[in-house]
Amino acid sequence: MSNHLLEIKGVHSGYGDVKVLHDINLYVEEGEILSVVGANGAGKTTLMRTISGQLPVTAGEILLHGTPVQHLPAHKIAAEGIIQVPEGRRLFPYMTVHENLLIGSTMKHVRADRQKNLEYIYNLLPRLKERETQMANTLSGGEQQMLAIGRALMENPKILMLDEPSLGLSPLLVGTVFDLIKTISAAGTTVLLVEQNVKQALKISQRTYVLENGVVAMEGPSSELIDDPYVKKAFLGL
Amino acid sequence: MQLKLTKQQQLKKWLLIGVTLAILCVLPFMLSKAYFVHVAIMCLFWAYMSASWNILCGFAGTLSLGHGIYVAAGAYVATILLNTFGVTPWLGLFVSCVVASIMAIIIGFPIFNLRGAYYTLSTVAIGEGIVVLLTNFREWKISDDLIIKIGGAEGLTMKTVNSPLFMQWRGKIPYYFMILVMLIAVILISGYIKRNKLGFQLAAVKDDEDAARALGIDVRAVKLKAAVISAIFTALGGVFYALIIRFLEPAAVASGATMSNQIVFGAIVGGSGTVMGPALGGLVLNLISSIIQYFLGGSVQGLHLFIYGVIIVVMIIFKPSGFITVLEKLYYKYLGVEISEALEDTESEGESDGK
Amino acid sequence: MSLMPSIINGASMGAIYGLIAMGLTLIFGTMRVTNFAHGAMLMLAMISAYSIWAVTGINPYLLIIIIGPLMFVLGYCTQMFLIRPVLRAESDKNDPIGVLLLTAGFSIVLENLALMIFGADYRMAQTSFSNTVFTFGNSSLSAPRLFGLIITLGVSALLWVFLQRTEPGRQLRATGQDRNTAALMGINSEQTFAVAFGISCALLAVAGLVLLPFYYVSPSVGGVFQTRAFIVVVLGGLGSVPGALVGGIIIGLIETIAAQFMTASVTSVLIYLVFLIVLFVKPSGLFGTKLD
Repeated sequence: MSNHLLEIKGVHSGYGDVKVLHDINLYVEEGEILSVVGANGAGKTTLMRTISGQLPVTAGEILLHGTPVQHLPAHKIAAEGIIQVPEGRRLFPYMTVHENLLIGSTMKHVRADRQKNLEYIYNLLPRLKERETQMANTLSGGEQQMLAIGRALMENPKILMLDEPSLGLSPLLVGTVFDLIKTISAAGTTVLLVEQNVKQALKISQRTYVLENGVVAMEGPSSELIDDPYVKKAFLGL
Repeated sequence: MQLKLTKQQQLKKWLLIGVTLAILCVLPFMLSKAYFVHVAIMCLFWAYMSASWNILCGFAGTLSLGHGIYVAAGAYVATILLNTFGVTPWLGLFVSCVVASIMAIIIGFPIFNLRGAYYTLSTVAIGEGIVVLLTNFREWKISDDLIIKIGGAEGLTMKTVNSPLFMQWRGKIPYYFMILVMLIAVILISGYIKRNKLGFQLAAVKDDEDAARALGIDVRAVKLKAAVISAIFTALGGVFYALIIRFLEPAAVASGATMSNQIVFGAIVGGSGTVMGPALGGLVLNLISSIIQYFLGGSVQGLHLFIYGVIIVVMIIFKPSGFITVLEKLYYKYLGVEISEALEDTESEGESDGK
Repeated sequence: MSLMPSIINGASMGAIYGLIAMGLTLIFGTMRVTNFAHGAMLMLAMISAYSIWAVTGINPYLLIIIIGPLMFVLGYCTQMFLIRPVLRAESDKNDPIGVLLLTAGFSIVLENLALMIFGADYRMAQTSFSNTVFTFGNSSLSAPRLFGLIITLGVSALLWVFLQRTEPGRQLRATGQDRNTAALMGINSEQTFAVAFGISCALLAVAGLVLLPFYYVSPSVGGVFQTRAFIVVVLGGLGSVPGALVGGIIIGLIETIAAQFMTASVTSVLIYLVFLIVLFVKPSGLFGTKLD
């Protein structure tokens, strides 16, 4: 049996009649940073939403530690420890920074760690502590991304899935966000990163999948893909 | 989408239509009691009203819970013209149509900008508001010689003239045929609208208002057109109501509970948005309600309405697109048409005219 | 002419309108659903409470122990068994009206069930304090209205605390703001809806019990309160609980103050006009947030 943390086997999914993902095979090892890259419309966000249960799987399996989870509703998949930071952050706009973090730890089995996690995150991201009582929709883009990630961390993720965390951020902030991801990974959290910023994604991850038109076009160690001529031409503009 | 029927299938279709019409025409003469004829008339009436409502709300996807105001427009205008000015309803109905159209435009202009629940709530408020206004207006004194009696809470009784020139016949049967003709007319017109430009525009608006706007459709204008047509038909229904009941009470004519909501439920249960659905729904609901009332109504107050409500709840949960979908399948089977090719989008496509 | 008596009466009745509207706005804020059975449910609470009072003579306010939980269960089950399937079927539509129609149909079911069981008579619970009147200077307020005002304000405060400071309250708010992301936090939105509906009905229980000592109840009593409640909800802002209270008091004040100068029915028309004006000028209401 496989001992991958997360495995996607032969998965098809889409939006009603519009089929987006075709026969996706992918796995995530415990402790690694895995990145999934591709052009706009390649299916990256669809993949993420399928794993997190927001989109139904029309065929195939999603296995967590070998157990199928693809039929579970989104809130149960989160309970299994598969935690998504959605594209565009999607904070709760009329809740404060602090309340967003509290909601992150609302699941019964993570509530015990609430205080501990809060301390950890406020230490990790002091800016959030400063803005503790501010409404989430008044934060800047970078602060929102920090909060979204912090909120996800409150859920004690087995695997943290980030959907385009660099979206809409300045290069300086992008660097900060990726430093944060590195820190989180170093602390032991498995990360699945979907990104349009291919350069950063390849630099930070151990392995990468390249999606194109809803299928896996390439896969392999990031260090190799970064030198691949096709990747260089298509994504790195070289 | 028009079904392409073979000669043989067309024959079957017209046979079905012919038999149905024949039965409908013979029916009133076969019923033993005048009460049964009255029930038949009211079934056709509610079928007609739901079909009229459907022209705006079913096709455009808006939920108006205040259509009673157009019923009131038809009923009160025709009755007042007869009572105070001696004008025959044959002419009065034209005035009613004009009044209803103006109302539809004045009201529609602002409220068609509202979305979803907001629009519905405003139709409720307008509907209730008009009921209150009518309840409070006993009469309108224009001069010492000219006092228009409106009735207020006590109600307004239509003058009895007993002449066909004034749409007042002896016996119920002429009224039966009157409403039957009206029903056929509204169904034919609904079918015509649906198959042509306005129908497509309305369907686009119903499906996705923003997308329709982006395609260049003037959403409000389209809705207003449908609203006016719907209002006119509804007002004509109001005129008929006045003739058959001969007594107008604001709450009975226009309020949500007794008029507006009933119209809507008939349309929904039958199949809102289709051509035949609302008429069938209105007919069936009223038929069931009348039957229950006939056998049980006297003994337990509220029972027939209770069952009526249960039917609605059950239908919305289990067959939200109405029971027309079931009948459609039977119809296609009867014609011998392949169901897969015929049933595209049951909700928005409906059928060709007639049955 | 002193307006004080009208103001006090209007505010106390308005607070009750507010309490009724609070449940409605809670449902709308959490589920984006319009509950057209709200008035019928209020009536149900009142009629059941009346029946128990008529047999036992227990003070209506104490009946909250029975009626409150019963109404909560009614609301919870209504969401779970009636509304949930319709919501699921409509999840892809832009402007879902199915639930509105469902609840309108359910309202007919409840009203006529009450009619069949209790009959059409108007009744009021004549309690020991129903006719007591308190006087303050020039004005007076009947005991039931005064108690009603105090209870209503108290329960409103409790609701506020529940929503702002407790875990389930926070979950409710999160679900209302973004139900898909709330699911990513492990929140079962359908369950949360059921809790919201249950709370809404429990609030109706309180409002019903408060009304019983001075208001005549019959199977048709729900309609007027429902229409008022919708107007209050729009005025206060869909989804805003404080807005519902403030909006309710405003409507209550308009009602009683206007009644000094015009007939009751014209006052009704005035309130509809206010409603329409709010809809066109500031549809988000006094405290409304942009939810969607």
